[in-house]
Amino acid sequence: MDAAATGRAARRALSPWTYLLRNPRRILPLFGIQALVTCLLVLIITPTNAFEATAEANVRPLEIFTIVSPRLRREFDEELLAVLDANPHQQERVRAKMLWVRTPMIVGEGYAPLIALPVEVRDAFLKRVELTLVDGRLPEPGEDGAVLHEAVVRARGMKLGDKFGQLIDPTDPTPGRFTLVGTLAGESRMGIADFAYADQPFFVLARRDPFQVVYANAGAKDASDAYLHAATQEDGESAFRVVDDDYVRGRIEANLKNLPLILGFITFSVAIVVALVIALLNMIAFQVRVDEFGLLLAIGHARRRLVGKLAAEAFAVAATGWLVGLALGLLGVWIYDQVWLAPQGILLRVLDPRPLLFSMSVPVLSTLTGAIALARRLRRMDPVAVIQRRGV
Amino acid sequence: MNAPTDVLLEALDVTLEYDDGSRRVRAVDGVSFTLARGMFLGLVGPSGSGKSSLMFLLAGLRPPSSGEVRLLGKPLPASPDASASARREHVGFLFQEPFLVPYLSVRENALGHTTDAQASARLDELAAEIGMADKLEERPHRLSGGERQRASLLRALANDPELVLADEPTANLDQTTGRAVIDLLRRQTRAKGLLVVTHDPSMLTGADRVLFLRDGRLVEG
Repeated sequence: MDAAATGRAARRALSPWTYLLRNPRRILPLFGIQALVTCLLVLIITPTNAFEATAEANVRPLEIFTIVSPRLRREFDEELLAVLDANPHQQERVRAKMLWVRTPMIVGEGYAPLIALPVEVRDAFLKRVELTLVDGRLPEPGEDGAVLHEAVVRARGMKLGDKFGQLIDPTDPTPGRFTLVGTLAGESRMGIADFAYADQPFFVLARRDPFQVVYANAGAKDASDAYLHAATQEDGESAFRVVDDDYVRGRIEANLKNLPLILGFITFSVAIVVALVIALLNMIAFQVRVDEFGLLLAIGHARRRLVGKLAAEAFAVAATGWLVGLALGLLGVWIYDQVWLAPQGILLRVLDPRPLLFSMSVPVLSTLTGAIALARRLRRMDPVAVIQRRGV
Repeated sequence: MNAPTDVLLEALDVTLEYDDGSRRVRAVDGVSFTLARGMFLGLVGPSGSGKSSLMFLLAGLRPPSSGEVRLLGKPLPASPDASASARREHVGFLFQEPFLVPYLSVRENALGHTTDAQASARLDELAAEIGMADKLEERPHRLSGGERQRASLLRALANDPELVLADEPTANLDQTTGRAVIDLLRRQTRAKGLLVVTHDPSMLTGADRVLFLRDGRLVEG
């Protein structure tokens, strides 16, 4: 019982938490800086995933079907259609035209697919891609109507009846002219237009290639895509340009390939500056503890153990600051998402592991620099000088 | 005088020299003496006579330039870091200033440095004896000067050390309180060894032996 009481008091005396909790005014600047920097890093890094999250939503339909267009010819002639139909993994193919609709992103803009389909296959298509009409109606045959995903409609600030396309706005990348007649909801961000309308001359002049939407047999999407990539025409040339999910993801990754490097550089630079500031603050805070450590050395505490105590204190402050900064950052990102991004139809992954990993360099470097600076100071400390300075 | 049963501390012709600018200073010069169990040894001398330097040598906080210090029959290592565990285990310290860790309670100050499982019970008894029982959970800033020195005494004795080294423990206290501290020390170290360094010979009444130091040399003992 007594041994336990002694052990408890001894542990409490040397625990880093004892010092931290009983000296909040000294700890607060160290804690605050690290929490604030971590929070800022989370707020800066997390929104960059909006590019990927939104692009991923745009790509999702291509996990269900594959878009194919002739690679070297203007049309699907009988030979190319025969090559397509020789695909052993193909369940069905549908004539289509593929256009893109501009969608504002967190920075710049992205493009959501707008597929022009014959009226008779539309319902089946929507069922396959798990999209439902939530407002308005589907386009009538030959009509310039289009239904867009509700997030795209929200992002572009559109309402039913609004018109869009190059004939309305020359800077709009969607060829022709469309009228918004309905909105869709679902995981896949895409729109539907009428094939007969999109087959009109101004779409041909706009060089919209003819497309085929290819559905693979269940579980055979990869094999079907592999066949389409490898398919050749009579002269041995590759037959098709294949737009599948791997292709689009590859394009997205290529566009974002430098992002982790840039984020890493920014974070590491910030972490180094913060670590140096923390080391300096630790040294200043240590000045008022010279007597404490001089005494502990004099009465027989091992220097190594005291270095361990200081390192544990530095780590406890850094880790707590980091955790609180993460929590504040996540809260900030959530508010940013709810108030600003979601109403614009911009997708964001609030829980993203990258800010966590990147910002971890802050507590790690802070602990290291803080502990090294304090260890050097402690190694040079002469307890006799401390005792004599106090007037012995 | 108590009959010594065994030797706790020995200084064997110890000398301490150091450079003070261009001058070589001999702070302690060929000092030898023995402190046996049960003995109360006083060390007096004028200011600058080398009392504190000798105390730091005896504590292993300064390595001697020549000679040897033996604690419980074993030579103290030359490095203060190497002698730390022996200091912590066998020696209790009392300084002129009541050094206490400001954010720890009196109990934590006393027990935070002990390796002895029985220290808690001993501390309660000691605290009751010196009138500090109700102050054990207080932090140092809430204590008077005399209470702080008694708290330092609790820390020095909590580990049940073989030897207590007290360097000017009464310098900042009035005569009555200083006398009470020395009496307490004496009572608590009756079966141990006690070395009190002071500039005030009146505090050494009842000492088994008093050493006089002048210019680093023992002139009488």
